[in-house]
Amino acid sequence: MIESQVRALFTEIAGGEPGASRVDTQLAHRRGRARLRWRRAGVASAPLVVAAAVAAVALAVGAAAPPGRTGPVSTGPLAPRQFDVLTPYLSFGWLPAGNSLVEGGASKHLMWLTAARKLDAQYDWELSVYAAGTCHLSGSPARELTCTAPEDNTIRVDGRAPAVRGHRAFWAGTWDTRSLAWQYARNGWAEMVLPFYPNNPAKQAAARRDAVKVASQIRYGAGTPPLVFPVQLTHLPSQWRVSSVTYVPDAGVLRASSYALGAGPPDLGADGGLVYETGLPYFDVNPPSFYGRPPCSRGEPGSKIINGYPVVVTNVTKEQLCAPRARGLTVVISEFGAQPAISVNSLFRHHLRLLGTNPANWTSKPIG
Amino acid sequence: MWRPAMSGSRDDEYTEYVAARLSSLRRLAAVLCDDWQRADDLVQAALVKLYVHWGRVRAASHTDAYARAVLVREFIHERRSTWVKRVTLKGRVTDAPAATVDHDAVLDVRAAVAALPARQRATLVLRFYCDLNVDQAAEVLGCSPGTVKSQTARALGAVRRALGPAAGDGPGGQPATRVASHTGEGAPGHD
Repeated sequence: MIESQVRALFTEIAGGEPGASRVDTQLAHRRGRARLRWRRAGVASAPLVVAAAVAAVALAVGAAAPPGRTGPVSTGPLAPRQFDVLTPYLSFGWLPAGNSLVEGGASKHLMWLTAARKLDAQYDWELSVYAAGTCHLSGSPARELTCTAPEDNTIRVDGRAPAVRGHRAFWAGTWDTRSLAWQYARNGWAEMVLPFYPNNPAKQAAARRDAVKVASQIRYGAGTPPLVFPVQLTHLPSQWRVSSVTYVPDAGVLRASSYALGAGPPDLGADGGLVYETGLPYFDVNPPSFYGRPPCSRGEPGSKIINGYPVVVTNVTKEQLCAPRARGLTVVISEFGAQPAISVNSLFRHHLRLLGTNPANWTSKPIG
Repeated sequence: MWRPAMSGSRDDEYTEYVAARLSSLRRLAAVLCDDWQRADDLVQAALVKLYVHWGRVRAASHTDAYARAVLVREFIHERRSTWVKRVTLKGRVTDAPAATVDHDAVLDVRAAVAALPARQRATLVLRFYCDLNVDQAAEVLGCSPGTVKSQTARALGAVRRALGPAAGDGPGGQPATRVASHTGEGAPGHD
């Protein structure tokens, strides 16, 4: 009786669907994309490089910690206060067979790497290394590790894990993730999401063992391939900087795949407040083969020719210029906000130097 | 069952899936929230998570089940973290109505179900709207089948008590003194 009444109620509610939906799927897509690609990237603002601190922690963490120590890192060098987004000093020293770096990224508060068999694979290793003071462990025994930048991320601690280079470490997880969190330097925390096998305890146990080994052999500050950009921006306002970047390994270098510009204080604006500054551009630059389907093609509404290249300019929820093939690259420039400082048209026409597909011509200076 | 196009990129597949399933996700959200505006907010939040986890979603054998789990867990999480703190739910029933009061039956049920804790409501929705069996509901909620059974029994008991003797179809027909609290939920971990 009651069951049937409850069923009837639910059916009635579901049947009252109003035609107009407030769900903005494009916004959800953008936010999801931002969170995925930039979840470990910081709110855009001009990064201040603390080169000395980075070097210090690199040396300190790169060296073996005293054996047998499993407590908090209370002595030794501090973790960097901020990261240099153009210097990816983080790399994997060991990975399970078949895995390799597929993507990385940086912002001033966070550097991250993803290793897998291929990009967007089901099982991957997602490493996040946070700047000093970004994360705080709470509870006794430890219950949560809360990292406040770039967005609030609460890591729920399940229990102690084997020490990582002698430093305290914890297993953590959510309903569909498992991770290892550890203190990599004084006042600095790292987390690595490992492959999740909910129905295979043996595989999960092996992944845990591998996670400790991966974490123990992460290299901080050791030489990595250079981060290079296949386009260069010129004649921009002097305060504009690359505020966050994602990159992919490509022909022996780390090629910037997406990046945002920032200037001044962060603006938690149009896209969920993760990275983009309203009115400033962000870029996706990749070979056409990077995309499963071209993000745009000639002949679409908004098509025009700029500098001899076909482009498609749209302005639905953001102003966007997409050049499907410009010197062998697919270039997408996007800007949120009603009044961008420089329009996407002008950026492409006057401020963008296309460097082609030969890595030898790419630059480590994205703003010339 | 929705299946991603083999040649599609992550974004294409996601866009295709959302376009195909938005309406059903909204309906499920509405049944969970009993409020279409709130339902849209819930779907909005769930779609972001769905994109973030799309690598797992596309690999899952039951895409719709995964999406449903994201939505339901987001609902429980939201209710736990914000609504309960900020919102006094309309229609909350704290005492069973007197037997002589002639309420509209549907409104009574609606008020009684609205008074349930989020997890109990979600359990009822999964069982009696989505028509999941106990094991399937347990998987969505991230708990044991036994917990689903007990949550279902508690929820139905609370509704029955809230409806009073008029709904008397068993032991639950006795007048109740209080419907389950909104707080004190033990939802699973949620990112």
